[in-house]
Amino acid sequence: MIPLLRAEWRKVTTVKLGWGMLLGAMALAALGVVAQIASNGASGNIALPLSAAATQKSIAASASSAYLFSVVVGIILITTEFRHFTSRPTFLIEPRRGRVIVAKLIIAALVGIIYGVICAALTAAIMAIWLGALGVTIGWIDNGVLLSMLSDLVVIATFAIVGIGVGVLVRNQIAAVISALVYLFVLEPLIEIIPVIQKAYPYLPGAAAGAITGASRGNLPHLDALQGGLVLLGWGLLFAVAGWMLMIRRDIP
Amino acid sequence: MSPEATSIEGRIVATDLTKVFGQVKAVDGLSFSVEPGSVTGFLGPNGAGKTTTLRIILGLAAPTSGSGTISGVTYAHLPAPGRTVGAVLEATSFHPGRSARNHLRVFCAAAGLSDKRADEALELVGLTQAARFPVRGFSLGMRQRLGLATALLGNPRVLLLDEPANGLDPEGIAWLRGLLRHFADVDGRTVLVSSHVLSEVEQTVDRVVIIARGRLIYEGRLADLEGASAGVVVRTPTPEQLSAALAPLNVKVTGRPDGAVAVVGATPEAVGHAAWEAHIEVHELRSGSSSLEETFLRLTADAGDPPAAPV
Repeated sequence: MIPLLRAEWRKVTTVKLGWGMLLGAMALAALGVVAQIASNGASGNIALPLSAAATQKSIAASASSAYLFSVVVGIILITTEFRHFTSRPTFLIEPRRGRVIVAKLIIAALVGIIYGVICAALTAAIMAIWLGALGVTIGWIDNGVLLSMLSDLVVIATFAIVGIGVGVLVRNQIAAVISALVYLFVLEPLIEIIPVIQKAYPYLPGAAAGAITGASRGNLPHLDALQGGLVLLGWGLLFAVAGWMLMIRRDIP
Repeated sequence: MSPEATSIEGRIVATDLTKVFGQVKAVDGLSFSVEPGSVTGFLGPNGAGKTTTLRIILGLAAPTSGSGTISGVTYAHLPAPGRTVGAVLEATSFHPGRSARNHLRVFCAAAGLSDKRADEALELVGLTQAARFPVRGFSLGMRQRLGLATALLGNPRVLLLDEPANGLDPEGIAWLRGLLRHFADVDGRTVLVSSHVLSEVEQTVDRVVIIARGRLIYEGRLADLEGASAGVVVRTPTPEQLSAALAPLNVKVTGRPDGAVAVVGATPEAVGHAAWEAHIEVHELRSGSSSLEETFLRLTADAGDPPAAPV
């Protein structure tokens, strides 16, 4: 297993894609922090003051937006193999396909965690400097800010795993990335507002992620953080197993 | 074939291999074997099922029925496939943004080989100068070389190469020929090389497996194929009469693109005598000393395949 993990790690570090996606994730996280702090107290903004625990947690949850990038990275890690046919040497050297896919899932989760740590650190730095300048005390422990950031890591890593599953299912790189983003940006928000099916909404991956991190989303009753975490991990497991099974059964392109 | 014979180290065996895609039988009850210490050409027109067969033997595709084995076991059951078998399936298996050296290092890691092997393989295929450049800038010939380097990383005793001469210049082809002959003659490795053009590999291979429409057409020594009768070529203004006159001889008469007819199954003397007896005007009568390529085209065309375009 160690050789496969090394090989998969090298695949990530020897192309530029990972760095570009990381920069994107950092930019989005920073934007979330800046927007929430700058708009706080502005007329029409219903958010509680910056000193409130809920607001501080919500700002900290900005790092979790990196999941939009980690799901794409997961998709690209696996679909690149099909697109450029590196799947051939990969599975020639290790024909036990289950092991290859497990190595890929682990590396995808690791990349997700790295993205999460960097984005959380960036978020924490901006918060500490800006709120410090405003004279607001951050309750890192008391207000659950640190816990919110740790749960960001779980969300981001899990979405990288989901990305691998989506990539195996769809195979075509562009189609897979587009379907994931359309789902997260269009389909899930639609489900949230359509009366008949909106009961299912809290159990969807995006909503579950919101429940964990405390990022405010809509007015529907949410799951609590632990429930959200379990639901999201369930999605991760589902996609991981689906990807694993398809990879073992289908012919390699 | 007895089980012991099948499991000879390094021997590739296809047994009644069939692969169906939807309604199409890409490979149809194909059986053949490839021996260690030889370079075997795997030939057939485009779409004959060569790549599909190789993919099944390499465990990338599952056969609908039948089996493909190397050293007596299916690919997935080889103890260390990365160090036993090297294969190139078309020269496209690279990430364009990754350098040649990093590409090889990825697979060194996967196969548990030291990174030194990457540089050695680059040296072997003459790509040391280009090692640090991304593959997107590589010519087709360079990609072929890099594909070969990937296949050679684990120093395999079995090599399967799909159309390896594609994109190589004449110098590259000569180099490849020398390398493959060395592997087979000196090291006793098994080398299987596919091609849709016989002339491309005829100087390299000693045995051939010819397929068309997924079925075996010929398996054996190239020298024996050369000896196969090429027939008699006759030019006459009345081919129908000639055909009728030759009917008792139980021969096969076919029209040729140049207007002459080819007669297979009789000597020039017998054909000439039959024409003379039937008072048929003959403008040309010669032994059809056809090239290997013509024999190959005739063999594969007889299988009902659309004839490959002459190169």
